[in-house]
Amino acid sequence: MHILVIEDDARVAEHIGKGLKSAGHLVDVESDGRAGLLRAAAETYDLIVVDRMLPNVDGLTIVQTIRATGDTTPALFLSALAEVDERVAGLRAGGDDYLTKPFAMSELLARIDVLNRRGPAIVAETKLSVGDLEVDLLGQAVRRGGRPIDLTAREFRILAYLARNEGRVVTRSMLLEHVWDYHFDPQTNIIDQHVSRLRQKVDRGFDTPLIHTVRGTGYVMRAGG
Amino acid sequence: MRSRGRGRLWRSLTLRLGVIYVALFLTSTALMFGAAYWMAVYRPLQNEAQAVRREMGDLAAIDRAGGRDALIRALITREASGPKKPFHALIAPDGKPVLANLPSWPDEALDGWTLLEADIYRGGQEHDYEALVVENRFDDGARLIVGRDVESIDDRDELFTIGSAWLILVAACLAIGGSVAMSAAVGQRIDAVTRTARRVMAGSLTERIPLRGTGDDFDELAATLNMMLGRIEESVESVRRVSDNVAHELRTPLARLHADLDELSAARTAAERDRLTEQALAEAERLQSIFDALLRIARIESGRHLAGMKPVDMTLLLADAIEFHMPEAEARGQRVESDVTAGLVIEGDPNLIFQAVSNLLDNAIKYGGEGGLIRVAAHREGEEVSISIADRGPGIAPEYRERVLERFFRVPATAATPGTGLGLALVNAIVGLHNGQMEIGDAAPGALVTLRFGAA
Repeated sequence: MHILVIEDDARVAEHIGKGLKSAGHLVDVESDGRAGLLRAAAETYDLIVVDRMLPNVDGLTIVQTIRATGDTTPALFLSALAEVDERVAGLRAGGDDYLTKPFAMSELLARIDVLNRRGPAIVAETKLSVGDLEVDLLGQAVRRGGRPIDLTAREFRILAYLARNEGRVVTRSMLLEHVWDYHFDPQTNIIDQHVSRLRQKVDRGFDTPLIHTVRGTGYVMRAGG
Repeated sequence: MRSRGRGRLWRSLTLRLGVIYVALFLTSTALMFGAAYWMAVYRPLQNEAQAVRREMGDLAAIDRAGGRDALIRALITREASGPKKPFHALIAPDGKPVLANLPSWPDEALDGWTLLEADIYRGGQEHDYEALVVENRFDDGARLIVGRDVESIDDRDELFTIGSAWLILVAACLAIGGSVAMSAAVGQRIDAVTRTARRVMAGSLTERIPLRGTGDDFDELAATLNMMLGRIEESVESVRRVSDNVAHELRTPLARLHADLDELSAARTAAERDRLTEQALAEAERLQSIFDALLRIARIESGRHLAGMKPVDMTLLLADAIEFHMPEAEARGQRVESDVTAGLVIEGDPNLIFQAVSNLLDNAIKYGGEGGLIRVAAHREGEEVSISIADRGPGIAPEYRERVLERFFRVPATAATPGTGLGLALVNAIVGLHNGQMEIGDAAPGALVTLRFGAA
């Protein structure tokens, strides 16, 4: 993937660049808001990672401006402004995701991965399948190996989110954002317990587990291995 | 410039008070003087004039009935009468006096009553008399002047005339002196307030305005201002305490982080390096979460958080919150009992309310003890929606119920349970933002926390 990083802190920019490169991405870094905006407009990227507070032109304006030209390149805000209202402002400006600093590289990589999959156009799916697991999004029904699995509404949403991102790492905070309807700080690793209950229902009694733990980061749904 | 200077001088409250005081003092003195003059001089003279007129009427009647000789006899008899010396002058139509004990009288006819000097020399001695006289002209052209001595009243009149000059002088002195004294007294009290305020501004928050102990308006004002200063000092003190705590609470994980990194640079095996790296990251995360929570509380408390207020279905929110925490409760063998009225709606920020409820549930699970019962109840009470969460743990002792709302305060017995001491402080801030109330009580046994919000 060709990624543009607009970040004014040299140390953070270097860290991001290094991480993205080692994950196999091609990275351009700009440290000035205006230069970043010009570059984003002039070249074609698969993704833009942008800080909120930048010299000359701030991140919100950059994303708003490129969106105004009809450019739908996925944009991820990376900001120290952590409050819900700041986050809402970022998403409203046209950002596709919002990650607060400080962050773990694994979290950033996971989010970039998911954004990339989402791509420019989102296809309306009605059925997902991973290995022998079938998820009927319309009927809210789950079958594995033809056998129905009884899930609560919340468990269904966790499973659907994992299945939709099959093969990609989903972090705990991504689950929290997409599965629960409130934006809050859960204070405990309770997400793990929700996933482990889901796992009990989905994987128990089957030879190949579908939900895998990625140590220190989150979960991934994958058929086989 | 000059007019501005004058304006400032006039704006000085004490000067204005002084001028007003002088004006009022002089006016009231003049009024009192006038009243005294009226009572001591004017009215007695009027009364005397009336008495003399009555006598004149009687004498005229005698003249009409008994002729001029009868009048003359009456006048002679009258000369020996009354405490006040009587005066008379009967003048024939040709201008010659017939009978008179007045030393002199005007040639012109008198209109109304008049005062005449009537000093009499007798045996080489002068007797001062002042006669109040009236005149009657008979049909044949003869004039009769009768009067009575009013020397005593006249003396008083004279006294008043001389006195008034002195009085004006003394009153003016008193007024000016009084106004200066009053201005000084008021100015002194105001200065005391100003001086204290200046010292407080200079950073000495313990300063208080001295009270006179008289309980007057200035004392009352000073007491109120002192109370305000006390309140400010208290909140500054609490801010100081919090920042001391912040320093301590942030320094501890920082020190651990530092130690981990220190050891990491000296680590020999890969396993040790991995362990230390993980530890360091965990410390960094802990630091971050403390930091986030602190900033959040500060933002909410200072009203900078732009709360997304909208109708919140509390029934649904509580069900979601319970469901969210359920796995943890079950892992501890706890049961959650929910008694929530359907369709409870409040006006609030759903994310913040969820955070508050989630913190309370987290506490109930953490401190509720293995296998305990957690009860969640929510009902409408009049104009309010009350939400209570009770556990069967050790509870919160009454002496700690205020303090657990402070940032970083933790009940001493819970030191072993992981936590930052910020959970209830955040709940309190959120409840405050919603103009709600938070009460910590006793579930006997266990802790009982009740939140109250205005119903939408």
